Amino acid sequence: MSKKDAYTQAGRTAVLQNIQGTLQFLQRFPPFNQMEHSHLAYLVEQCQLRFYAGGESIITPAEGPVEHFYIVKQGRVVGERHHVTRPGTETTFEITSGECFPLAALLGERATRTEHLAGEDTFCLQLDKAAFIRVFSMSEVFRDFALRGVSSLLDQVNQQVRQRAVETLGTQYSLNTPLGELALRHPVVCTPDLALREAVRLMHEQQVGSIVIIDEQRHPIGIFTLRDLRQVVADASAELTAPIERYMTAKPFYLSPQASAFDAAMAMTERHIAHVCLVDNQRLCGVISERDLFSLQRVDLVHLARTIRHAPRLDSLVSLRGEIGQLVERMLAHGASSTQITQIITLLNDHTVCRVIELAIAERGDPGVPFSWLCFGSEGRREQTLHTDQDNGILFEARDGAEAEAIRARLLPLAQHINHNLAQCGFTLCKGNVMAGNPELCLSRGEWARRFAGFVREASPENLLRSSIYFDLRVVWGDEQGCEQLRQGLLEQVADNRIFQRMLADNALRQRPPVGRLREFVLTRQGDDKAATLDLKVQGLTPFVDGARLLALAHGITACNTLERLRQLITQGVIDPLDGAAYEEAYHFIQQTRMQQHQRQSRENMPYSNRLDPDSLNHLDRRILRESLRQAQRLQSSLALRYQL
Amino acid sequence: MNLFAWLRPTAPELDAALQRRLDALPGPAPLGVCSLREQRWVVLDLETSGLNLNRDQVLSIGAVAIEDGAIDLGRPFERTLRRPEQKTNASVLIHGLGPSALAAGCEPVEALLDLMTFIGDSPVLAFHAPFDQRMLARALKDSLGLRLQHPFLDVAELAPMLNPDTVLREAGLDDWIARFGLEVQARHHASADAQVTAELALILFSQARRQQLDSPLQLEQRVRQWRRRKAQHHGL
Repeated sequence: MSKKDAYTQAGRTAVLQNIQGTLQFLQRFPPFNQMEHSHLAYLVEQCQLRFYAGGESIITPAEGPVEHFYIVKQGRVVGERHHVTRPGTETTFEITSGECFPLAALLGERATRTEHLAGEDTFCLQLDKAAFIRVFSMSEVFRDFALRGVSSLLDQVNQQVRQRAVETLGTQYSLNTPLGELALRHPVVCTPDLALREAVRLMHEQQVGSIVIIDEQRHPIGIFTLRDLRQVVADASAELTAPIERYMTAKPFYLSPQASAFDAAMAMTERHIAHVCLVDNQRLCGVISERDLFSLQRVDLVHLARTIRHAPRLDSLVSLRGEIGQLVERMLAHGASSTQITQIITLLNDHTVCRVIELAIAERGDPGVPFSWLCFGSEGRREQTLHTDQDNGILFEARDGAEAEAIRARLLPLAQHINHNLAQCGFTLCKGNVMAGNPELCLSRGEWARRFAGFVREASPENLLRSSIYFDLRVVWGDEQGCEQLRQGLLEQVADNRIFQRMLADNALRQRPPVGRLREFVLTRQGDDKAATLDLKVQGLTPFVDGARLLALAHGITACNTLERLRQLITQGVIDPLDGAAYEEAYHFIQQTRMQQHQRQSRENMPYSNRLDPDSLNHLDRRILRESLRQAQRLQSSLALRYQL
Repeated sequence: MNLFAWLRPTAPELDAALQRRLDALPGPAPLGVCSLREQRWVVLDLETSGLNLNRDQVLSIGAVAIEDGAIDLGRPFERTLRRPEQKTNASVLIHGLGPSALAAGCEPVEALLDLMTFIGDSPVLAFHAPFDQRMLARALKDSLGLRLQHPFLDVAELAPMLNPDTVLREAGLDDWIARFGLEVQARHHASADAQVTAELALILFSQARRQQLDSPLQLEQRVRQWRRRKAQHHGL
């Protein structure tokens, strides 16, 4: 090495040493932690470090197309947008250490829509547009991040969840895998005229549990499984030489190969079937069995649902509860989303409730009057977690008050028995006595309608609280007609009553999401807790649930599920599609965080709690949680604006 | 031969190329009335063999330029000087420059020329600037026969002057780093110290602007007043 080269080299080392600090800082954050070292070093070398005093403007919409890319090194940058309808501004986002801005404007070669201000004394790394473009073209990781923005952050969280699952289970299996991608064996098929014996021989030779009967176009017209065979054998009159057509299950259920493993699992659970045909363009392309789906899991959803539905005694139901917990654990580990899991829990809980009712009727004798078992609150919204209370009631038809009184007297002992049995199955008795065994909640349709009308007419604090429980209702067992008529009447009354809506809106604003202007999170200390915490349910989910309920009731939407309500509100044009999508993602993330916490608590034999110390989350999760809570804040301010509160 | 020539210190002999570079160095520009942002500044930090201004030597130099109100991260200045004669003493514990690092260093003459080229005509900022100023002045005189005339502003004076509410007695760099929540990569590493001093300077310039001190000249005049008042205060 010549002397000159040696000096250049020494100078280079010095530079590297000095940018090392900035490099190490950036390597704590995505996407920089995944970028190639040389690309990151180039980025840092091209950076300038700037200081902005609290309140100082960094970029404004008036400056025209954005010329620089910024990374917050220290401090906090806030986005302020002027209200369209009234004076003042609204903080739309917050960017802290390791986060960058303004990607969309930079890539779109336009001005920012939002003024970026230093929220406190702040240092930013500033990269000029030419260097940004160079890094963008060099580094795939960076490009991917820049193009996908925050949604790529969410993807990373999902990847992390799956990663953890792979670590614990040693498998790549995911519930979101399209069925077509699962390695399936070629389906065994035959024509409808084949003799039963021949068909069974085919199944035996191929070692499969099902055979699909197809027509000339290869469209499935029936399916014959080992279960059907059992029935045939048990039936003395069955002829093994008869065509299979006579014994098959006609019009089998099918899905497209693009449907997910989760869809198949849900279909099997709902329909009590063990095989689903895959059909592409009307042609059979595969069969997926319960065993294909759950070969890797000891606890299986379909089997569990069936066992619950056919449990012979209450004790068996009680012992099955533990398996639901294990199933949820596995589903979460397999990367199931919070929505999928609440759906599964709701489904299994519904099965349990139905079975408890059936067993109670068998034990105590049929009361001789038709009735519907209603559920309210989170159960009504299909948003149950493992940690769940009873909120139920009974609806029946009666001609007049006297008849209602007589039917009530007959149903109440049964209802109380059911409540008691449900408690044994792990559905905690409701402290507020919102239970069917309570005479005030075992009502005829007319009585329910009067009760609901009272809530809407006299919006006292108690009635507002009640409406937030009772207005999320659905039928778990029994006829659904009466409940739908009740709901229609309710929706009409709410739509007409602007004052009630306004009171509900006021109520929906009471739980403020725990994010402040100055600090990341606004935390409180409970009792003698070591760490300050926030409540994921009350402070995180409730604002979305309350907001979605109010808007749904006011716009005649019959759905009870929060996400479903949001989707229908978008369809009806009540909320902006982008806002709705953001609310949905945020709600979803908070729920997911809450469930992961519950799973952890149950593993560690700790009581369930919704209180979370944000510092226990990793950096990425903490950042997304903060953004998610900010979406709750946005939903609330839109309600405040809509109802002029 | 001049009669007094023997009284003058012998000017160090430089080869022609170095001499040309020395001659080409610009002199300092006087502090002007441009804005703080328009002024280019150089933030300097020296690691020395000790605190004795007459005996100790400059071992390494770190410098960072502030241009257009921002620190250029890709172009910091750093040189370790070749000091083979330097005995290991207690200060090695602070700056961590052992004999091998110093032996592998760059010729002091070249290092100092490079530094003066980097500084150009810009004013210099340093924490406890008088120390760096005198150390550098002696090194320049010994190695290059050059008189240091650049204006120095002391960050250790600017900080308490602009933050009268912050009560810190005899505050050192670490105190101000903590006060503003800055992060340092490696303290007592010349370029890392220069870097964090520069970050401190950015904060101070922003404060100065809010106190209507938006030119190098105004800032320097205010420092003089402040120093005088402080002396009087202490006198009383």
